[in-house]
Amino acid sequence: MFFESPGSLLWLALGVPIIIFYILKIRLRRLPVSTVMFWTQVLEEQNPRSIWQRLRHLVSLLLQLAMLALLAFAVADPYFFWEARSARRIVIVIDNSASMNATDVKPTRLAEAKRQAEQWIAGMRHRDEFALVAAGTQPQVIVGFTSRQKTVSSAVQSLATTDGPSQVADAVALARRLLGERQDGKQQEVVVFSDGRFSGVEELSSALAPLSGGREPPGTTDAAATSPISNATSQAPVKLQIIGTRAANVGITQFQVRRSLVDPLGYEILAEVTNASDQPVECRFEVDLNDEPIDVVPLKLDAGGKWSQVFEKTSALGGHLLATLKHDDALAADNTASAVLPRREIQPVLLVTSGNLFLQKVFEVNPLVKLTVVAEAPATVPAGTVVVYHRVAPDKLPAGQVFVIDPANATDLFAIGEQIANPIVTKQDKDSPLMSHVRMDNVLMPEARSLTPTLPEQTLILAEAVTKEPLFFAVNRPEGRVLVLTVNLDKGDLPLRTAFPITVANALHWFAGNKQDLRESLAAGSLATISSSDFAHPAKSASLLLKSPAGELKTLPAIERMTIGPLDHCGVWSIIEDPGSADLGKAIAPKTSDKTPTDEPLLEIACNLASATESDVRPPEELLANSTTASPVLAGLGSRPVWFWLLLTGLVLTTLEWVMYQRRVIS
Amino acid sequence: MLFDGDFLKKLEYLSLISRRVFRGSILAQRRTKQMGGGIEFADHREYTPGDDFRHLDWNVYARHGDLLLKRFQEEEDLHVYFLIDCSRSMGFGNPPKFDLARQVTAALAYIALSNLDRIGIIAYSQEIIADFPLTRGKDRILSLLRFLEKLEPQGTDTNLGRIVNSFALRPQRRGLAVVISDLFDPNGYERGLDLLRHRTYEPHLVQIHDPAEARPQMLGEIELVDAETDSVRKVTITERALREYRKVFDNFQAGVAGYGKKYGLGCTQTTNEVDFEDLILRMMRTAGAVS
Repeated sequence: MFFESPGSLLWLALGVPIIIFYILKIRLRRLPVSTVMFWTQVLEEQNPRSIWQRLRHLVSLLLQLAMLALLAFAVADPYFFWEARSARRIVIVIDNSASMNATDVKPTRLAEAKRQAEQWIAGMRHRDEFALVAAGTQPQVIVGFTSRQKTVSSAVQSLATTDGPSQVADAVALARRLLGERQDGKQQEVVVFSDGRFSGVEELSSALAPLSGGREPPGTTDAAATSPISNATSQAPVKLQIIGTRAANVGITQFQVRRSLVDPLGYEILAEVTNASDQPVECRFEVDLNDEPIDVVPLKLDAGGKWSQVFEKTSALGGHLLATLKHDDALAADNTASAVLPRREIQPVLLVTSGNLFLQKVFEVNPLVKLTVVAEAPATVPAGTVVVYHRVAPDKLPAGQVFVIDPANATDLFAIGEQIANPIVTKQDKDSPLMSHVRMDNVLMPEARSLTPTLPEQTLILAEAVTKEPLFFAVNRPEGRVLVLTVNLDKGDLPLRTAFPITVANALHWFAGNKQDLRESLAAGSLATISSSDFAHPAKSASLLLKSPAGELKTLPAIERMTIGPLDHCGVWSIIEDPGSADLGKAIAPKTSDKTPTDEPLLEIACNLASATESDVRPPEELLANSTTASPVLAGLGSRPVWFWLLLTGLVLTTLEWVMYQRRVIS
Repeated sequence: MLFDGDFLKKLEYLSLISRRVFRGSILAQRRTKQMGGGIEFADHREYTPGDDFRHLDWNVYARHGDLLLKRFQEEEDLHVYFLIDCSRSMGFGNPPKFDLARQVTAALAYIALSNLDRIGIIAYSQEIIADFPLTRGKDRILSLLRFLEKLEPQGTDTNLGRIVNSFALRPQRRGLAVVISDLFDPNGYERGLDLLRHRTYEPHLVQIHDPAEARPQMLGEIELVDAETDSVRKVTITERALREYRKVFDNFQAGVAGYGKKYGLGCTQTTNEVDFEDLILRMMRTAGAVS
């Protein structure tokens, strides 16, 4: 027998004072009585127990010493060699992805997985160590290795549902890395509770073998260590517990919206519905914008069939697009999908020009532009107005958004040089949104002027000639954005090219910032990178809150650029200002869902399941064939640690001593 | 001081009460079993030659023609012996039982002396340790009180039987023997009382005990020290043992009362917490001397 903490045996030294006290106790309290004749008579009646009465003090001492010894040994945590050798280290992997929310197993697959995991945990033996890994959205170690049954059990119960994708393969790899960290001779294994709807299931299923004997539950299948999925530090076997049935499900597997390429007010919706069942189904697909139906499509889908369609719609107001699939099936999360359509704002443009028809018309044709044409620049410009200087630009460009075209004179942002006879664009910034869908390499630009930016560190060259002279550049100054295009519109062929209106549209879009950008709907479980320029309006608070579709709030740092997520629930996520932190430096208010932010959201992001893998909730047939519903063998009383029995014996002895004391003193 | 002026006043009060009502009850002026020159008619017997003609019942002879002689109860002054237990067990209690025993002895003796009876006191423990000889007359009360006051609990082994044996061998007249004791006699109190009865004494018991003896409260591991023998007994006193003890003690008390009842003896059982005058009055009431 070995001891986990042999130093605790020093507690045995307490036996010395117990013996001393026992010896001291022999000197009893003396009490004079008028006669002992009655006591003699009383005690004579108890003569049959006299031997016991003579011994009971000694027995009491022995009991007390035994109790001390048992407690000391219990604290020392003894264990047998065979006990240490048969100990197990098990990682329980529970798939809490979207498909585990299916209700074909009541109440849900995840609840059933938890129940079965609890059975495994109930079979936990002394010196066994369990860990818990969640396999939904992102593999995550919920609880590291612990031998405390209650800890693992409560972690299992607290495992939350997600609408994210299943990451069982990564979770198994993570579990094996966990197991691989320690090698102390314990049996190691990974037990996966999943519906089998994850990537890599084919690799896993190809390595599955039925279990035989042992303590493992018959409903578990074993993946050999040679499986590609076991490409991790540890070679621990994987056991897969299949949860679920081959239930039918129809889901929205695509729902995206984008701006129309031809209509500035228009938008296009791409919707796809997949029938992940073995039977044809009939259902109805509805699209609402701000709770107003904009389209309804009755669907007839064959078994395993798909339907997709692009809807072209128009709206300047924007709002929330909600697609609903009217069909009662196993998984509810994929029966709705949402998207956020930002409002289209009218942009005021002040064109200062002596006259250029192309330039004027390119703005006029844009329905989102409110154009004002003047010959001379006014003294003040309304805030938010894009000022377009053609040829003549003031020496100091005004604050705000400024577009300078074919400048004839120098300004505070650039110096002007000699004419460039026939410059050819040899390099353009393809990554800039200003050059999106624009090609200038074959555009003639006679009489362009050589420009030298005065703020090179804030200047982005969008197009430059072969002589490295900038022809089109942007300056991102604090007072406002500036674009400079040195092209003679009267002599060049740029106005005749499609690049011209696209460049102007890109410029207007750039000036407007990202406010009107249509952010695509994300797949549930994704991360999103946002910056403050994406916000609908500047944030006033020192801190921000991320509001989930369910209304839960999470504090975000108020920094320029951040990554949020994983956004693991379907619906519209919002970034709002923290009403409890209006001033910089003020303490962040506690996160409570009853908080009612006063302003409209700074940013909204739609998340949809949109995953054919998750919508198909049917477990692979070969896995189902190997699965049974038998329960794992529970650990019996014999699985308790030695210290438990020692403590129990000590408790019994304490009770015995207590009874003896009661009989001795109080009867 | 055990016997002070107040005590004497109380004795006088008790003697006044007893003088009016005590006749023929407990003490003094008692009818003896001897027939003779008394005035109270007892019964008839047939005339035999030589009898005193004055005692013939002429009325009966006139009616029936039978010669019957009238017999009368002879009255005599009573001899009262007080056997007071001076064993160390009598020093137990608060106040000690011995104090009450001496007060009761003094009170009864005063009443007897007031009724012109003769009294004697025998103090005993394992043997007779002091003797107040037979005396008569109220003027002897002070010496009696001095005698009682000098007594102290002593002795190691109470044995009433042995005491009575030596007491009864004395050449003295028979009379009332008042035994004042706790009767905690390891050899049994019955033998002594039986001897008294057999020697034609009329025993009267005054048994005194302390409430702590009747209902002890101690619990646990205890060394019990016998007040008389100084013997030590290690006992573990439990609630159950206490219950047993109370049962045994109650049985003992009931045995004493039963003994008195069985043989028609006067028996007074009391605790040491009562006042002696209350006890005397109670004895009188029990005897029907006062209402």
